[in-house]
Amino acid sequence: MSQDRKEKRIGIFICHCGKNIAGGVDIKALLEISKKLEEVVFVTDNKFSCSEEGQIAIQNAIKDNDLNRIVVVACDPSLHLLTFQHCGKKMGIDPAFVDLIDIRKWTMFGSPNKVDEKEALINSQKFIEQAAKRMRLKRIVPKVNVEVNQSVIVIGAGVAGLEASLDLADKGYKVYLIERLPTIGGKMALLYKVFPTNDCAPCILAPKTAYANIHPNINLLTKSEVANVEGHIGNFSVVVNQKPRYVDEKKCTGCGLCIEKCPTKVIDDEYSRGIGERKAIYIPYDQAIPKKAVIDSQNCLYFQKDTCRLCEKVCPVQAIDFKQEPKAIELKAGAIIVATGFDEYNPVQKVEYGYRRYGNVITQFQLARLLDIDGPTKGKLLRPTDKREPRSIVMIQCVGSRDENANGYCSSVCCMYALKHAQIIKEMILPDSQIYISYIDMRTAGKGFEEYYRRTREIGINFIHGRPSEVIENNKTKNLILKVEDSDVGELINLEADLVVLSCATVPSQGTKQLAGLLGVNLDANGFFKELHPKLRPVETNIRGIYICGSAQGPKDIPDSIIQAKAAASCADSELRKGEIQLPEAIVHPVRS
Amino acid sequence: MAEVYVEEFMSPGCVGCPAVKEMLKSLSEELSGEITVEEVDITVDTSRAAQYGVMSVPAIAINGDLKFMGVPKKEELKKALQEELDKD
Repeated sequence: MSQDRKEKRIGIFICHCGKNIAGGVDIKALLEISKKLEEVVFVTDNKFSCSEEGQIAIQNAIKDNDLNRIVVVACDPSLHLLTFQHCGKKMGIDPAFVDLIDIRKWTMFGSPNKVDEKEALINSQKFIEQAAKRMRLKRIVPKVNVEVNQSVIVIGAGVAGLEASLDLADKGYKVYLIERLPTIGGKMALLYKVFPTNDCAPCILAPKTAYANIHPNINLLTKSEVANVEGHIGNFSVVVNQKPRYVDEKKCTGCGLCIEKCPTKVIDDEYSRGIGERKAIYIPYDQAIPKKAVIDSQNCLYFQKDTCRLCEKVCPVQAIDFKQEPKAIELKAGAIIVATGFDEYNPVQKVEYGYRRYGNVITQFQLARLLDIDGPTKGKLLRPTDKREPRSIVMIQCVGSRDENANGYCSSVCCMYALKHAQIIKEMILPDSQIYISYIDMRTAGKGFEEYYRRTREIGINFIHGRPSEVIENNKTKNLILKVEDSDVGELINLEADLVVLSCATVPSQGTKQLAGLLGVNLDANGFFKELHPKLRPVETNIRGIYICGSAQGPKDIPDSIIQAKAAASCADSELRKGEIQLPEAIVHPVRS
Repeated sequence: MAEVYVEEFMSPGCVGCPAVKEMLKSLSEELSGEITVEEVDITVDTSRAAQYGVMSVPAIAINGDLKFMGVPKKEELKKALQEELDKD
C-alpha cells in the first residue's frame, strides 16, 4: 500500500505505562511539545497503550483523525512494536509508518538508565522530535524477495548444539553441525555424572551424539571452525576451515591398534583437563563420536622429526593419511545457531589459591575426570603429588565468579557441581574422607536442587560459610593449609587438606570474540553472546536469522541449555518455513567496504 | 526547504564509521537542503538496528530506507541523498 504521496497526518500516543513512565516524566509537557511538531495532527496520552482498551483507543483515533502515520511513545520496540504495527495495519496503515520509541528506560524505577525527571523530559523531548521527523520524511521502499535456504548451520556440538540440530533435522531441514574438536558432545561428556539425578553424563548424552552421527539430515563437520560469514537471513554463506585428522574417517574402524603402538605420550589438556595422558594418535574417549582416531601433529614424531610412522604400519585398514590438507568448505544456510558453550575459568589468575604452584590444588573439572570410572585414573581419586587417596578435601566456591577482580556474575552451576562431587566422593569412593565446602552463599535454585543440597548436608559434608583468603602448601607433606572464618558460628577454622578443589567460573569459550566479529553478533559485558532482549527474546540476536543457545549466551545448566536449544531451533524453523521473505535491497546487495 | 533524515548506524571501535560520519558532514554542507543526521550506536540501541535488519556497521538509512551497509563511495551517497532531496 503506497501512502508516501498522501498528505501526512501523524498521530503521537504517549503511554503512561501506569506509573512506570508517568511517575518519571511530565506527560503534560510532552503532550504540549508533541502538538507543536510539524504535520502532527493528533496527540494524546493513555494509561496503558498496549492494553486492549489502549489499542482500541489508538485505532479509534486513527479513524476519527484520518491518521496515516503513528508514533507510540512508550517502551522498547523489541517488545511491542509488532503490537502497534498490527493495530495500525487493522486501520490500513502500513507497518513502516508505525514507530515505537522507548522513553521508559529513563523513567522507570529500577531501570539501569533511570534519570531524574528533568533529564527524562529533555531526553524524551529529543526522542519524540526525532521520531516525528523520521516518520514525517519516511518513505516506503519496495523490498526484495529472497528465497530461504532450507539448511541451518549449528556452530558447536555440545549438548545445546546437538539438541538444536536434532530438532531441526527431525523437522526435515538439512543441518551442518560444526565442531572445533575431533569429537562431539562438548563439556557434558566430561562431567562423569550430572545433578540432581546423579545420572551418568555420557550415558544420557550418548543417545543424542549417536543419533546426530547417523541422522540423514545432519552433516557433521568435526575439527572445523568458522572462517568467514557473509549474507543474511535466508541466504547465509559460511566458509568453514576443517583441519586434517590425518586419518581417513571412512576407513578407520576405531580399533585402537594405532594408539597401542604409538610411542609418544602427551598430557591430555582437552579431555583429561591436564591430569591424564594420551598418545599422539588418539581417540578422545571410549564413547567418542565419531569414534575415529586423530593425529596430533604437534606431538607426532612423523610431523616433528620425519620418523616413526608406526601407526601407518599397524593400521589394518590403511586409514592413516599423512597427506591430508586443511580444507575450506563453503556452506549455504537460511539460519545459523550459535552453541559454542563455555570454558572453565583459569584459576592461575587467583594467585592466592596456588593453582599450578601447588600440585594438590585442582579444579572441579579436573576432579570430574578423576572421579570418572572411564577417566584417566579409572575412577580412583588419587591426589596428584603422591598418588595417594586424600583423607580431607576442601572445595572453594566462587573462584573467579562473584568477584569484581575477575567476573562479577554468578556462574550458577558451581554450587551444584560441588555438591555432586562431594556426594560422589562420600558415597561411592572415599566414605571416610572429610569433605568441606567453603562458600559465600549456596545457590541451589532449580527443580530438585534444594533437596539435593539438603541430602548433601545429611550425608556428612561440612559446610563453612566463608572463604579462605589464601592457600599455603606444607613443603614436606604437600598438604594445604587454609584458615577460614565461618561467619555462621563466628569462628576461625584451621584446616589441613590433602586436596583443594576450586569451583571455577564459567567463562565464554575460546574464540567467542572472533566468532562474534565474523557473525556481527553483539557480546554482553561479560563476553557472552548477547540476546536481543534479556527477558523476552533470549535466543534471538541483533542479527535476524542468527540465534544463540546454551552457555554461549551465559552460564547455565543442562536442562536450561536444552530449553534454549529447542527455542533457538523453533525460532529458526519459524523463519525457514516461510520459504520466501522480503528484505531491504541494502541487505541483499550490501556495499563492499 | 527539501529535507532528508539520515540514520547513521555505528558502534565504538568501528573502523569504517568515522569515514561515513565525515562524508555525511561534508555532504550536509555541500547539498542544498536540510539533512538531519542521527547517529545510532547499535551497541546501545539494539532494537533500531534489528528493526532495519542492520547486520554490520557502518550502515546508512535515508528516510527510513536502509540504503547502505558498508562504506559507500562518496558519489553514491551523494546521489542517494540528492534523489531523496529531489523527491521532497
